[in-house]
Amino acid sequence: MAHQAHAYHMVDPSPWPLTGATAALLMTSGLAIWFHFHSLLLLYLGLTLLLLTMIQWWRDIIREGTFQGHHTPPVQKGLRYGMILFITSEVFFFLGFFWAFYHSSLAPTPELGGCWPPTGINPLDPFKVPLLNTAVLLASGVTVTWAHHSLMEGNRKEAIQALTLTIILGVYFTSLQAMEYYEAPFTIADGVYGATFYVATGFHGLHVIIGSTFLAVCLMRQIQYHFTSEHHFGFEAAAWYWHFVDVVWLFLYVSIYWWGS
Amino acid sequence: MAMAAFRWKLWSCGLSRLTASRTPAARVIARPMASTGIPTDEEQSTGLERKTLQAIKKGMDPYSIFKPKEYAGTKEDPHVVPATTDKRLVGCICEEDNTAIVWFWLHSGNPQRCPSCGSHYKLEHHELPH
Repeated sequence: MAHQAHAYHMVDPSPWPLTGATAALLMTSGLAIWFHFHSLLLLYLGLTLLLLTMIQWWRDIIREGTFQGHHTPPVQKGLRYGMILFITSEVFFFLGFFWAFYHSSLAPTPELGGCWPPTGINPLDPFKVPLLNTAVLLASGVTVTWAHHSLMEGNRKEAIQALTLTIILGVYFTSLQAMEYYEAPFTIADGVYGATFYVATGFHGLHVIIGSTFLAVCLMRQIQYHFTSEHHFGFEAAAWYWHFVDVVWLFLYVSIYWWGS
Repeated sequence: MAMAAFRWKLWSCGLSRLTASRTPAARVIARPMASTGIPTDEEQSTGLERKTLQAIKKGMDPYSIFKPKEYAGTKEDPHVVPATTDKRLVGCICEEDNTAIVWFWLHSGNPQRCPSCGSHYKLEHHELPH
């Protein structure tokens, strides 16, 4: 029983920050070892430790919040601030790649032929699969909002349906994008066009996978009755992240796929 | 009625509990879980969260979530300082925007006055919530 006069959560000691830091060390050094000595062992160790850290740390947070009731309103407020700050940092991450794209595309150098797309590059038709991808993500934004309202109204069946549909759309986007990558006539090594295209859309795709995973965890939790109609911040955080991913795609589509063609 | 409740929920989700007034909350979520499948906080909250929510429903704030009530600080209307022991530190910002905070121990018993501005403070004993 907590004998405290405040509503905050003083967390118990946990090993996961240490294992997470160790994983970061193994992944960075593992990358360097892979580059120079062709061994993937350290990298794999780091990735495994990272996966185990994430699973156990977030599992513990679910235990503390949902099962033990430590997530009082002020604690929840702090979690909201945290998620907003994190998403803001991700916005800046993508801003960098957009900067790189516009730097190269607004004033194409003579080496590129003085034009954008550069000479020899056949860009993807923005009105084919990329447009479908746009529709898929916009639709997923609608379904995740539907899921949220169902949750708030206490409608279990529709919340599960809408959340499942959102995840399906996310997976659909990822597979379409993977097929596009496979079929594209240019690679990441094709000058600054290829570099900016694949790094920006590639990191976006990674974020789609992360967001879909987050939503899938929420689906499992919703099925297991973790969420109440008033308190379901894990879901809200996943929905915020998903909307962020959608907005980044819209900027990518307009800038790189459409204007950049 | 249902429409109003729905619109209220749209705005409030998660945040209303932070801004709930200290008077008993006006909202009533009268939807049994069995009918639509998602539990309410009333049905499922536990631990400290449950205690804070139940207290807010009764208009109480044992965990000091909300801003303290404002008092005149006069002899008739002293600042009431809740405490779980016999004394508590008070930091008086005598005038707005003062940067020098006047710190002093407030003891149970007779009200004390801030050594700088003279506002009255009275310790009020509370049990440690448990």
